[in-house]
Amino acid sequence: MEPRPHTLETDRLRKEYPGTTALRDVSMRCEGGKIRALLGKNGAGKTTLVRLLGGAVQPTAGTILVDGTPVSLRSPREALERGIATVHQELSLIPGLSVAENIFLGRLPRRRGLIDWSGAARMAGTLLAELGLPLDVRVRAGSLGLAGQQMVEIAKAMSHAPAVLMLDEPTSALAGRETDMLFTLLRRLASQGVVILYITHRLEEIHRIADEASVLRNGDLVGTIPIREATPGAIAGMMFGEAPVHTRVQAVPVSGPPVMIVNGFTRGEAYRDVSFTLHRGEILGVAGVLGAGRTELLRGLFGADRHDSGTVTIGGRRIVPSSPSQMKKLGVVLAPEDRKAEGLIQILSTRININLAGFWPPSHHWITTAARERAVAFRYVSELDMALPSVDGPVSALSGGTQQKVVIAKWLETAPRVLLLDEPTRGIDIRAKQQVFKIIRDLSGRGISSVVVSSELEELMEVCHRILVLKKGRIAGEVSPRDTSLASLLGICME
Amino acid sequence: MTRIRSLLSLAVLEIILAGLCIFLAAAAPNFLSAENLLNVLRNVSMQGLIALGMTLVIIAGEIDLSVGSMVAFSGCLTAYVAGALGSPGSGPGAVLAVSAAILTALLAGFASGALTGALRNRFGVPSFISTLALLTALSGAAELITNGFPLTPFPSWYNFIGGGYLFGIPFPALLFILAFAGTHLLMNYTAFGRAVYAVGGNAEAARLSAINVATVRITVLALTSTLAAASGVMQSSEIMSGTATTAKGWELDVIAAVIIGGTSLAGGVGRVWGTMVGVVFLGVIMNGMTLLNVSEYWQHVVRGGLILLAVLINRMERKGI
Repeated sequence: MEPRPHTLETDRLRKEYPGTTALRDVSMRCEGGKIRALLGKNGAGKTTLVRLLGGAVQPTAGTILVDGTPVSLRSPREALERGIATVHQELSLIPGLSVAENIFLGRLPRRRGLIDWSGAARMAGTLLAELGLPLDVRVRAGSLGLAGQQMVEIAKAMSHAPAVLMLDEPTSALAGRETDMLFTLLRRLASQGVVILYITHRLEEIHRIADEASVLRNGDLVGTIPIREATPGAIAGMMFGEAPVHTRVQAVPVSGPPVMIVNGFTRGEAYRDVSFTLHRGEILGVAGVLGAGRTELLRGLFGADRHDSGTVTIGGRRIVPSSPSQMKKLGVVLAPEDRKAEGLIQILSTRININLAGFWPPSHHWITTAARERAVAFRYVSELDMALPSVDGPVSALSGGTQQKVVIAKWLETAPRVLLLDEPTRGIDIRAKQQVFKIIRDLSGRGISSVVVSSELEELMEVCHRILVLKKGRIAGEVSPRDTSLASLLGICME
Repeated sequence: MTRIRSLLSLAVLEIILAGLCIFLAAAAPNFLSAENLLNVLRNVSMQGLIALGMTLVIIAGEIDLSVGSMVAFSGCLTAYVAGALGSPGSGPGAVLAVSAAILTALLAGFASGALTGALRNRFGVPSFISTLALLTALSGAAELITNGFPLTPFPSWYNFIGGGYLFGIPFPALLFILAFAGTHLLMNYTAFGRAVYAVGGNAEAARLSAINVATVRITVLALTSTLAAASGVMQSSEIMSGTATTAKGWELDVIAAVIIGGTSLAGGVGRVWGTMVGVVFLGVIMNGMTLLNVSEYWQHVVRGGLILLAVLINRMERKGI
């Protein structure tokens, strides 16, 4: 007998935070047997919805119904008991424990007070067999690849026999073949009647896995469409709305003299044969889906990671990037994606961080004083309009936007020619974003070029003179924001 | 009130040290005599010299456990080379021989630290592990050089380095004060000093900020190891022999002084001045207990307790309790 499909419904689900509504009266219905993709840009409300359904936060208003019954989810544990299991983006397995222990962590079967290891292995083995997963339950979870660990996470979630399985960006760390394995497993679970809610950034994969797609924008559910109607144009329209993109780039200086010529840059499968010319004052965008090799490329150009082959010509000199201090001297600098852990030294003061790049080997002076460093810091505080109480306070106390400005200030002090910016607006508020764009444009006016990597396509459209599309590590196209629509850019990225 | 509070928390160890000195001045009449104070300074100077370097190493997020063995090894190496090159005497030949011996020892110290740094950079071997290995190896090497017996090739004037006076101040204490001034200036007024803090605060962020992390690590480790070798030369001069069994466990005293001085073992935080206070603090306690005729066994127990207490107070002050 076919198991009856489960259902998940939300009725006018609403979540308000002080000063903002993260989710506005979302009503939707998902049925078992179908895989539902949940789409939206950063800040659209995807994470809030996942947290509400997973019991991590409570709704301001509205109801969640599992199999037609209203449920209140006051904790992740309660969500699990009511049949909603979540597999999070970050793996939560304990690498030193066996697969079986991880699956039954905290509820291992016991016999006469002692843990029944053979029973646990048997139960885990049965579960994995039901899921069609060919894994040895005795091996340490840490010895499995990422895909294997992801499977164990799913098995762990399925061991609770949930009605609903939510997956938050499950493929972000997986390679192509591993993704195929995951999709096969999800397909099988769906056919057993489980409701599968699949949150992803990778638009290109929804056609392979989902049956229907729901799109969130600014906290609203824009709509749900069958997957055959989800063309790039339709999805872009739903995700970004009809609002026109402000292209505020003035002159197009791609005719200026070249400052950096990248030739045949290659590193394994991460990026391959990347060549482009960056002109003086040009703002070059790099678009592409997660895992397209954007971050790796920037790090390679900065000499932060090794690369296999390819050269960079700067100021007429052909060089092979080999270390950040070498590239700094040549005027190529990087504001990394993870600015908290890689861009700044959190326990040190703003003053020290702004002066950081000139310390060793010393670029100006061997002798330094707090007063001299403070003078430099003050100059950038006013130039970049930083909001901070004191330059001598720890940089960790500053907002994300101000921290990003500190990173930029640190590099400006080294008089760079090329700024490599990896997700410069991630996690900073809308005002700070506009300020960062303004800084990039002002620098362009002063002849300093930028290469901007961003997942926010409309930001690239707004700030860049030219956009390269990176796909599986290769340059798949080049567009000009002036005569390209957001939908067609998204289309090139997704194809 | 808040100003007094902030001043108090800023200088908590200095205040405790001052209190201790006032107590000892009252309890032990000759504590405050110039002779005794200079004696304290002399007693702490050799370990103190190493502690200055160790401060830089710990701020950079590394550690050097081999300094005690380096003191013994360096003393023995100096004695061995001096003995091999010349005979005890006061002629220019002896001066040359002893100078060459000292230089050899200092170079050996430099090489040892540079090796630790290179292993750290090139192969990612934690300095804790490589210097633990060096602790054993150097101690064994000292025994090998001396064949288990103290070497005594030194001319009598050699005693000046570890036991002499200049301008009425013990020569080792003078070197210690000079080294303090040097490291203090290095850490507070040079770009290199800032880089040391940066590397200890977050080595990856420092690297991505174009700081040459490898040379920073090698420099602080080599400097400390060289200071340990210098300390070994002074030690051999004080006892007028190269003895393999000397300076056992110094690494722990040195690290204790640095930690008492407020430097964080996690890296990125610390001050050379704090180490100076920590070194003097430990010296005053030992001296005070000797003056008060506390038994040697008790001295160790009390010292251990005070180290714990000082670190606790530092912690609480940082957490703002």
